[in-house]
Amino acid sequence: MTISRRVFVKSGGIALFSVGLDPLFLARAALGLDRLSPPSTALHRPILVCLFQRGAVDGLNMIVPHGDALYYRERPRIAVPGSDVVDLDGYFGLHPRLAALKPLWDSKRLAAIHAIGSPDATRSHFDAQDYMESGTPGVKATPDGWLNRYCQHDREHEETPFRAVAFGPELPRILAGTAPSLAIADLQAFGLRAPRPAARDRLTRAFEDLYAGSATGLLSTSSQEAFQAVQTLQRVDPTRYQPANGADYPRGRLGKAMLQIAQLIKADVGLQVAFADVTGWDTHVNQGASEGQLAARLAELGQTLTAFAQDLGDKLDDVVLLTMSEFGRTVRENGNSGTDHGHATAMLVLGGPVNGGRVLGHWPGLDPANRFEGRDVAVTTDFRDLFAEVLARHLGASDLSPIFPGFTPDPMRFPGAISA
Amino acid sequence: MKTRVLGLTTIVTLWPLTVGAQQPAPLTPRDSAAHALNRLAYGPRPGEIERVARAGVLRWIDGQLTPDKIDDKDLARREREFDVLKYDRGDLATLYTEVQRARQERKRMGDTAADKPDDSPVAVKGRRFAAQVQQLAVVRAALSERQLYEVMVDFWTNHFNVYVAKGADRFLTPDYIEHTIRPHAMGRFEDLLIATAQGPAMLFYLDNWESVAPGASPPFPLSARRRGRQGVRTAPQGINENYARELLELHTLGVDGGYDQHDVIEVARIFTGWSIRRPQQGGDFEFHDWAHDTGDKQVLGVEFERGHGMDEGIRLLKLLANHPATMHHVGRQLCQRFVNDDPPDGCVDDAVAAWQRTHGDIREVLRAIFHGPDFWAAANVRAKVKTPLEFVVSAARAVAADPDTTPRLAQVVARLGEPLYLHVAPDGYPEREDAWVNSGALLDRMNAAVALAAGRLPGAVVALDSVAPDTVDVQHLIAAIDDGILGGAMSQNTKRVISEQLSDVRDPVLARALAIGLAIGGPEFQKQ
Repeated sequence: MTISRRVFVKSGGIALFSVGLDPLFLARAALGLDRLSPPSTALHRPILVCLFQRGAVDGLNMIVPHGDALYYRERPRIAVPGSDVVDLDGYFGLHPRLAALKPLWDSKRLAAIHAIGSPDATRSHFDAQDYMESGTPGVKATPDGWLNRYCQHDREHEETPFRAVAFGPELPRILAGTAPSLAIADLQAFGLRAPRPAARDRLTRAFEDLYAGSATGLLSTSSQEAFQAVQTLQRVDPTRYQPANGADYPRGRLGKAMLQIAQLIKADVGLQVAFADVTGWDTHVNQGASEGQLAARLAELGQTLTAFAQDLGDKLDDVVLLTMSEFGRTVRENGNSGTDHGHATAMLVLGGPVNGGRVLGHWPGLDPANRFEGRDVAVTTDFRDLFAEVLARHLGASDLSPIFPGFTPDPMRFPGAISA
Repeated sequence: MKTRVLGLTTIVTLWPLTVGAQQPAPLTPRDSAAHALNRLAYGPRPGEIERVARAGVLRWIDGQLTPDKIDDKDLARREREFDVLKYDRGDLATLYTEVQRARQERKRMGDTAADKPDDSPVAVKGRRFAAQVQQLAVVRAALSERQLYEVMVDFWTNHFNVYVAKGADRFLTPDYIEHTIRPHAMGRFEDLLIATAQGPAMLFYLDNWESVAPGASPPFPLSARRRGRQGVRTAPQGINENYARELLELHTLGVDGGYDQHDVIEVARIFTGWSIRRPQQGGDFEFHDWAHDTGDKQVLGVEFERGHGMDEGIRLLKLLANHPATMHHVGRQLCQRFVNDDPPDGCVDDAVAAWQRTHGDIREVLRAIFHGPDFWAAANVRAKVKTPLEFVVSAARAVAADPDTTPRLAQVVARLGEPLYLHVAPDGYPEREDAWVNSGALLDRMNAAVALAAGRLPGAVVALDSVAPDTVDVQHLIAAIDDGILGGAMSQNTKRVISEQLSDVRDPVLARALAIGLAIGGPEFQKQ
C-alpha cells in the first residue's frame, strides 16, 4: 500500500503527516501564526506565472516551421500557408491568430522554445500532464508538484496566503504538496457570504473556530490557508479592479484568470507563483489551418497574453510567464483533418526578464529519420531544463535537486530563456 | 440473515486481534449503520441511522445489493416531472439539429458574437434539458431508496466518462446515462463494457465513430459534402487511436496493465467501423463493414484473425473484461471508492477473487468488499472526504430536502468543482481527497451549507423539523444534530463553537438553521 502524504494519523490531538513527518510542514504548522503579518512591499519581487495548455497543443501550428517544405507535404489540409504566417526568423513564424504577440517578440520580451517535451514516451494526456506537473517523468508515485516543491524548498520568500495561487476550482497537481497554496475560482466570490458585513465576519469567525479546533489533515491546512486569504483579500477589494493601459482581456475562463493574476500581482499581496490552465487543444478532428478550431484557441491565447502584458505595464519587468503543454502532436495530419498525440511541442516564455525575440532550443527538423518513433517531433530539450532555468535564473532558486528529484539540471543545457 | 449479522459481530470484534498493534474501539451497531450509510449511500436521512441499525446493517446491505427488489415509488413520481426523460435519443437529436441549424443561421446573418447566449426557443429548451439532466442525477442520488445503485451509477459514469458539451454528446449523453450506464450499473462488467463501447455518446466522445481503415471509403457520398465549403466535414481517412487508448488505460487494464503502443494501434484497428448514424437518423450505434480493417490483428499476444468484422471487437471486449489486470484495476478503484483513498491490498484481493469467481458480477464484487475486514476497520471509518456531489447530496439528505426539477442543487455541485457530465478528460472526476480539498472549495462548502440550512436554495425545500425541534434549549438542539446528521461524530470543539454562536440568538428557528448550517459546513460533515 502506498502511503500518501495526505494520510494522517491522529495522535494526541496533533495531526502528523506520514512520509517521514515532513519537518518543513511541522515547522510551518508551528510557525503558522507568523504568516498573519502583512506582506512586505518589496519593489522587485520576481513572479512566475505558469499557463498549462491542457490537451497537447500542436506546436507545429503554433510556432510554424514555414520554411520547411516537409511541413507542407505532411499537412496538406491543415498547414498554415506561408503567406499567412507571421514570420519570426525566416524559418519559424507565429500562427496568424497570434499576431498580437509580435510586438512583444520584437521588443525581446517573448521567446519560444521548440522541440521541448518529456523524456517519457507516453501519449496518454493524463500521464503526460501528471509528469509535467509532478516534474518527474515516468514516476507516478511522486506525491507533490514541482511548483509546490519549489515553495517548500525556497524558504527565503516570505510566506503569505497568496504566495502560490492556482486559478480554477481545483488545486492542480503542479501545486499539490505541503507548501500552502490556494485554489481560487473567482477572487470576487472568495470568502463567506452573508447579507451584511457584520454577519459575514461573524460567520467567518465561527467557521474558522470550527476548523481550527476540529479539522485534521488536509482539511486543517486548507482551512487555515482559506481564512488567511480571506483576511488579505478584504484589504485588496477585487470588485473595484480595472485593467490598465487599455488592456482588453477576452471573455471566458482564461481571460478572467489572467486578469485576476494581474490584479494580484499589482496588489502586491506577496504572489510569487501563479497557475492557470486552458483546455481545448486536443485537436484530433478538423483542426483547421489559418482559421478554424485551433486558430480560435490561439486567438484567445494571443489576446490574453497581450492584454496581460499591457495591463502589467512596468510590472512585467518582474514577471515571467511560461506556457506548457503535455506533449505535441503528430507531424502528419490524420484521417480526420486533425492530429493525433505526438511527442515534442513548443512553449512560450513572456516577460521582462526573458531573452526574447528568438526561437530557442535545438530544432531536430521534420525529416522522418530524425523523428521520434518515425512520426513525431523529437524532444531535444527536456522540459525540466526550461523549468529549472526559470526557477534558478528568475526566481533565484539555489538548489534544484529537491525540486526535480532524479534529475540533475545542468546550466549548460538550459535553453537560455532568461537574460543573464 | 442471522448468520450474516453474527458474521459482522465476529469481524468487528476480531479485527483488532488480526491486525495487532492498533486498538480501535469496536463499531457499535449505530456506528456500523452510519458507516454503511456514508459509503453505500449518500449519507443518512433523519432517523435513518437508527432504522438501519435496528434492522441490521448487513441485512440492509444485502437489500441494497438487490436494488430491483427495493420499492422506489417516490423517486419514480419525481422523475416523471423531468420532461427530458420523455424525450428519446431521436427526439433529442432532432432538438439538437434544430439548435445547430439556428446557430448556423445566426452565423450566416453575421452575428459574430457567437458566444452570446442564443435566446431562440429551441436553444432555451436545449439549455433547460441540459440543466435537467444534471439535476436529475442529484435528485436520484438524494431521493432514491436504491442508494447503492445510485452510488454505482455515479461510479460508472466517471469510470466511463463522456463530456456532454462535446458536439453531438449534447444529445447523446442523456440516453447514455439512461440506457448504457444505468441498466448495467449492478450487472456484469462485461455487459457494461460492451454497452459503453457501443454507446453512441462514447463513440462520439472518443472519436471512434470516425476511425476507419486506411484507404477505406464509404459506399455513398457523405451528405456534408453537398453543403458548400463552410463547415464541411471531410470523409474520415484513417484510424483514430483515442478510444483504443482510453479503453486499455482507463476502462480496463489500467495504465500499468502490460500493453504498449503497438497494442493500442491493433485495438484501434479492431474497432474500425464501430460508428454511429447521423444525428438526423437518431445517432444509433452502427457497424460499418466498409470502414473495418480487414487484416489480421494481435492484441496482448492474442491473435484476432481477419474476416470477423464486428465480432472481433466483441471478442476483444470480453477478453479485456475478464483480464486479470482489469480485475485488479477496477477492483482497486472500487476499494478506493468504498474503503480508502489508498485502498488496502486485502480489499483489492477480495474484489479480484470475487470477480474471478463470478466472472465479473458487480454485485458479488461489491458484496466481497462490504463483507471484508477492511471495509469495517476503524481506521477506514470517516477516512474519506466527500466529493462535491457526495457533499451536496448528503447535506440535502441530512435536512430531508425535497429537490425539484430546478437545477439549484446541481448548480451548487458545479460551483464546488464537479459540474456533472462536464469533466473534459476521459478519466472522470477524481476520487481522492487531494483533488477536492483546497481553501477555495472549502469556503464554498461552508457557504452552501449555510444557504441550504437557511432555506435559501430555492428548489430544495428543507424540513428541519425532522432533524431537530426549534427549541431554545441549545444542548438539546446540538445533541439532536450530532445524532441525526453526524452519527455521533461531533467533536467537543464543534459543540462548543455552535453553542457559543447560538448564545445570543433568541429566535429558535434562526438558531436551529444556524446550528445545522455550521454542522454541515464544519469539518466532521466533510468526511464520510
